[in-house]
Amino acid sequence: MAIDIKNVSKSFVTKDKDFMALKDVSLHVDDGELICLLGPSGCGKTTLLRMVAGLEEPDEGEIYDRGELVESPSKERGFIFQQYSLFPWLNVLDNVMFGLNLSGENIKEENLAAAERYLERVGLADFKYSYPHELSGGMKQRVAIIRSLLNHTPVLLMDEPFSAVDMLNRHTLQEQLIGVWKRFETTILFVTHDVDEAVYLADKIVVMDKGPGRIKDVVEVPLERPRQRESREFLDFQDEIEKLLGVWEP
Amino acid sequence: MNIEKKVLPFILPTILLVIWFLLTDGLHMIPYYILPSPVNVFTAAWTLLANGKLAMHTSSTLIKVFSGIMLASVVAIPLGIILGWYETLDRLSSLIISILRPIPPISWIPFSILWFGIGLSSAVFVIFIGCVFSVLVYTIDGVKRTDNVFIEAAQTLGANNWSILTKIVLPSSLPYIVSGLKVGVSIALMCTVSAEMIASSKGLGYMILTASQLFQPGTVVVGMIIIGIIGIVFDYGFRMAQERIFW
Repeated sequence: MAIDIKNVSKSFVTKDKDFMALKDVSLHVDDGELICLLGPSGCGKTTLLRMVAGLEEPDEGEIYDRGELVESPSKERGFIFQQYSLFPWLNVLDNVMFGLNLSGENIKEENLAAAERYLERVGLADFKYSYPHELSGGMKQRVAIIRSLLNHTPVLLMDEPFSAVDMLNRHTLQEQLIGVWKRFETTILFVTHDVDEAVYLADKIVVMDKGPGRIKDVVEVPLERPRQRESREFLDFQDEIEKLLGVWEP
Repeated sequence: MNIEKKVLPFILPTILLVIWFLLTDGLHMIPYYILPSPVNVFTAAWTLLANGKLAMHTSSTLIKVFSGIMLASVVAIPLGIILGWYETLDRLSSLIISILRPIPPISWIPFSILWFGIGLSSAVFVIFIGCVFSVLVYTIDGVKRTDNVFIEAAQTLGANNWSILTKIVLPSSLPYIVSGLKVGVSIALMCTVSAEMIASSKGLGYMILTASQLFQPGTVVVGMIIIGIIGIVFDYGFRMAQERIFW
């Protein structure tokens, strides 16, 4: 089992009151699974993801990553942020090699070759010497994903990474993510508020609710890959999830 | 259009030069001892160039400015990064920095003479005092403004605290550090000339002071113009650096 979330609660202190972001949440994620956390804003899905990363500490409960208690961020759990997180003072190549260069292993040639290969695979070979401000939003997130993968991260935590990308590009990015996930057998926890995205990507969808944030249901996605957005089954299942979310309630 | 823009800054100085010439040599309205004419200044500059004194004094001033800035950077940049990073240390030191910062560097001259005597190190000390605080304050500010997402991204890529300081916080505050240096240099230049007038036997400030005592107003103006040119060159250099750094 890759990630084990046990009875986690978390509240934030705002100006005049405590805000309960998550209450008694438990979840198991198996190795190589692609799980989407789906819910309305304020349901604590991002907070949960940040706690799995070690960027935030739970008030109660524990989170284990392959048996080890999560206490701080680690390169074992790569994180893709909703905001663009590429280092603006480094070009694309230096950005993606950031993690590898940290480890101090003197295999620069090898790292470089790997970085170029990865960039080529997502169509960014021509941009290796570009700086982040010269890239589109979708390109930036692609580079951020490569930066984590190149670091041999077994777990990838993604916080609405494609929400700022236009729809056409978003579909391409989702397709590429599936390709990457299959190839590297990465365990992925993907936060989104987009039902279509969750249904397209996930093995399992964790439907969350707010006030306080909790897990409403965990639904296995019965669709085969590659998934067809136009297919009857896809649309039907999407309806089912929307009903579960309460989108259709008056 | 483009040529017009390039010519525009030179129009006013040219007009002033013409008026200056008319008032002095042209119409003889102002006597030499009140304001030397452009020709006087040119002659003085020529003499100073020929006997090597201009080069000597200018290089002496430049050496002091450079040493003072280098010393201030070596102290203020690492210190600023530490103070900006550790909030407790910042709080501990903020009052003393706020008290020391507005004290005019010139008022340190008596102590600098006592501690370092008359000469290079005394002037360098005053310049150091003059620009260390602006570099320090800008560096602290830059560190505090480091976007949290960069720090967290680095953490999830396996960076420890040292790597975060050197590979994230330092480059991300570099634009602020350069701004601090830019402000620091202009203060340093002012301090240098003042310090040279009191605690030195070389440099443009010393040249200006002795020329005024020897009644050579042409030389005084030459010194002033050179200081202005040094200021422009530094400013240009920093602007180039900023253009390369500000992504």
